[in-house]
Amino acid sequence: MIELIHLTKRFGDLVAVNDLSLTVNRGEFFAVLGPNAAGKTTTIKILTGLIKPTSGAARVAGFDIQVEPLDARRRMAFVPDFPFLYDKLTPWEMIRFTGQMFRMGDARIETAARELVARFGLGEFLAKPIDSLSHGTRQRVAIVAALLHDPEVIVLDEPMVGLDPHHSRVVKDILKERSQRGATVFVSTHQLSVAEEMADRIGIIHQGRLIAVGTHDELRRQSGANGALEQSFLALTAEEATLSETVVEKS
Amino acid sequence: MSAASSSSVAPAPLLLLLRANGTQMWRRLNTLHEQSGLLTWVIALFIVGYFALAFALFYHGLSFIAKFPAFGALLVERLMFLLFAFLFAMLLLSNLVIGYTNLFRNRETGFLWTLPVPAQTIFRWKFIETALLASWAFLFLISPLLLAYGLTQRVPWHFYMVAPLMVALFIILPSVIGTSLAINLARYIDRRSFQVITVTLVCAALAITAWWLKPQALADDSTETRVIAVIDRLLDRTRLAQFAFLPSYWLTSAVLNWGEGALRAAVFFVTVLLSNVLLLGFLSFTGLGDPFYEAASMVQSRGGVLGRWVWLRRRRERRGAFDYPIGRAEKFFAWFRWLGPDERAVLVKDTRMFWRDTTQWGQTLMLFGLLGVYILNLRHFTQQVTLPFWVHLISYLNLGACSLNLATLTTRFVYPQFSLEGRRLWIVGMSPLGMPRVLKLKFWLATWASLVVMLGLIWLSCHLIDMPWRQTLVFSAAVAVMTFTLNALAVGIGALYPNFREENPGKIVSGFGGTLCLVLSFVYILASVVMLAVGSPWSRVAFRLEALRVASWVGFVALSFVLGWLPFRAGMRRVAKLEM
Repeated sequence: MIELIHLTKRFGDLVAVNDLSLTVNRGEFFAVLGPNAAGKTTTIKILTGLIKPTSGAARVAGFDIQVEPLDARRRMAFVPDFPFLYDKLTPWEMIRFTGQMFRMGDARIETAARELVARFGLGEFLAKPIDSLSHGTRQRVAIVAALLHDPEVIVLDEPMVGLDPHHSRVVKDILKERSQRGATVFVSTHQLSVAEEMADRIGIIHQGRLIAVGTHDELRRQSGANGALEQSFLALTAEEATLSETVVEKS
Repeated sequence: MSAASSSSVAPAPLLLLLRANGTQMWRRLNTLHEQSGLLTWVIALFIVGYFALAFALFYHGLSFIAKFPAFGALLVERLMFLLFAFLFAMLLLSNLVIGYTNLFRNRETGFLWTLPVPAQTIFRWKFIETALLASWAFLFLISPLLLAYGLTQRVPWHFYMVAPLMVALFIILPSVIGTSLAINLARYIDRRSFQVITVTLVCAALAITAWWLKPQALADDSTETRVIAVIDRLLDRTRLAQFAFLPSYWLTSAVLNWGEGALRAAVFFVTVLLSNVLLLGFLSFTGLGDPFYEAASMVQSRGGVLGRWVWLRRRRERRGAFDYPIGRAEKFFAWFRWLGPDERAVLVKDTRMFWRDTTQWGQTLMLFGLLGVYILNLRHFTQQVTLPFWVHLISYLNLGACSLNLATLTTRFVYPQFSLEGRRLWIVGMSPLGMPRVLKLKFWLATWASLVVMLGLIWLSCHLIDMPWRQTLVFSAAVAVMTFTLNALAVGIGALYPNFREENPGKIVSGFGGTLCLVLSFVYILASVVMLAVGSPWSRVAFRLEALRVASWVGFVALSFVLGWLPFRAGMRRVAKLEM
């Protein structure tokens, strides 16, 4: 599970994340939405231990990412929107490298990789250098490498970028399966359809604050907008923006 | 689902990182070889040629100094101390700059932070990588020097066995100090401030060193009588290189003592080096992981340092709403009325990008600053150098030095321009301007900007050695031709071998095209300077014919045409046919 406890992050004068508290339970698929520069990526960076929070704490599978980073990372997978891959290695070498970094033995790497490679249709690319692959294929390699060690917590930042509809479907299916098997999935996305279709709960971050959280129906009620998630999202963020402007004007 | 269990099969993370990056490096070299066997041979020949040339220069230089009556051995010794002290300072700076980039501006580091790898292990790998990246050029430079020193001093055979070990120990120290400094600086200042401060400090250090070590002006009548006084002053000025706490002092003392057969003293200094390496290496390999993580987090979390200054914030606030101003670059290029607005827009964009990239103007400033300091110091030679032969020898060396400097800059900054533009094809390439015209604009901008600097430097160097205006004109013409050629070569090869995948210009340069550009530029400069010098009326070639002078210029212009115009035209053709 994921726990974000009164998380605040300042960049100089700018408050990127403002007292954000959230719990994502074991086996839950959680989607984070928000306008550009809302604080989603900063939240993910804190959650994965890439940066330290100004105050508050982030816990992954019961381990504080700042206090016990290795225990937390061992149980987590993170796929950023533009993942780093060693260009001159082949996908198979990259997958093996990542597995070994998670202290997996050869037999376990091979078993886990076989299934994921087959599902992602990566078989024909396994022996080619990564720098000769398309963006979508590289994204698939990154996802396979990240999921290899069967993580308890999966964090993804815009995972569908560059993927064709078929492979987007594969990613969605695998993530859903993993969450049904007990993994906590935390996805940041601008694709409202992904959140609408996949997420058990949705959180909306705006100007560093978690302004709404709940199921699609709960968000709909909260926003007063009927219909698709888009209406709820636009209503909630517009409402919040108006409120912020009023506060600024008064101050 | 479970936490990944430990397995004895998986190697240690540091070993995995070394293996993955080693494989990458090996495959890059193989790719280079596969792309062109000819280029591999050219590079190999270039390296062998460099070693032979550097060895010959060091050998003759050390032999010449060693023959100085009474003071030869002392001068050689001091020269070695001085050289290693300078190299230590350069290694330190190199480790600091490369360390900062490698530790904090590197995508691999970001990736590694998400894996269950201790911060200390990530630091260890980044330290090893930084030390290798920052020190290979030092090893390249130092090997022919040590060989030349060994042969001139007739050192025992075991010197050649021990010298590599001493050098290996030595390079670890500036790496430890440089990376520690980088980590501590990163905690307090942001990237831009770091770059500005580094460039300022280096320029200040260069100016101080140039002032401190400037040649002493002597009257002709005093050169005979005051030799001892002059040498005494020289030794006094360079005593700093013998500061006992400098690692370069330990290395030089070890090298000199071993060379002289004073093994007990040499072993002492090797032990000093070893103990310092062990102590500092142990401290950094066990204690810098957490500070590295702290600094990495701070680098990504920091608002602009300048933004924290209240007066600056208030000034910005007073500016009020954005009023769509026309910048200085636009005002400047508005003078070029014969250019279309689209062409001016590209020039303004390129100028702004150069100005806002501290790396580009910082390195340019450093290279030309160093050259400027050298040229300014030429004025102290004027009184001694009166024979036309020496005057012209110095001026041809100046021509070579200026052109080599320019070649470094054209390869580093002009060559990757087209590759970088390729990533912005959606706007520039798709505009009615067309890529061939964009390429031409880049060529003209780079050429005119570098021509102004090059002509200024050549004119200054000619003026400071009192060269007649006719010869000054000849050198100005030569440097102008070379400027056009080197820029055309860089732009042309940049278009012929683009790399649209890479965002980092440094990595674009390190590929096939960049290497080819650098090798061809150096070969061109060497051939041109030799050709012009041999054909000059002051050369020592026995048959000083007018025809030889004409032939040397015809050869120079023909070579410039082949290495400038032809690659440029081929590049233009390729760009015209480029499928986006």
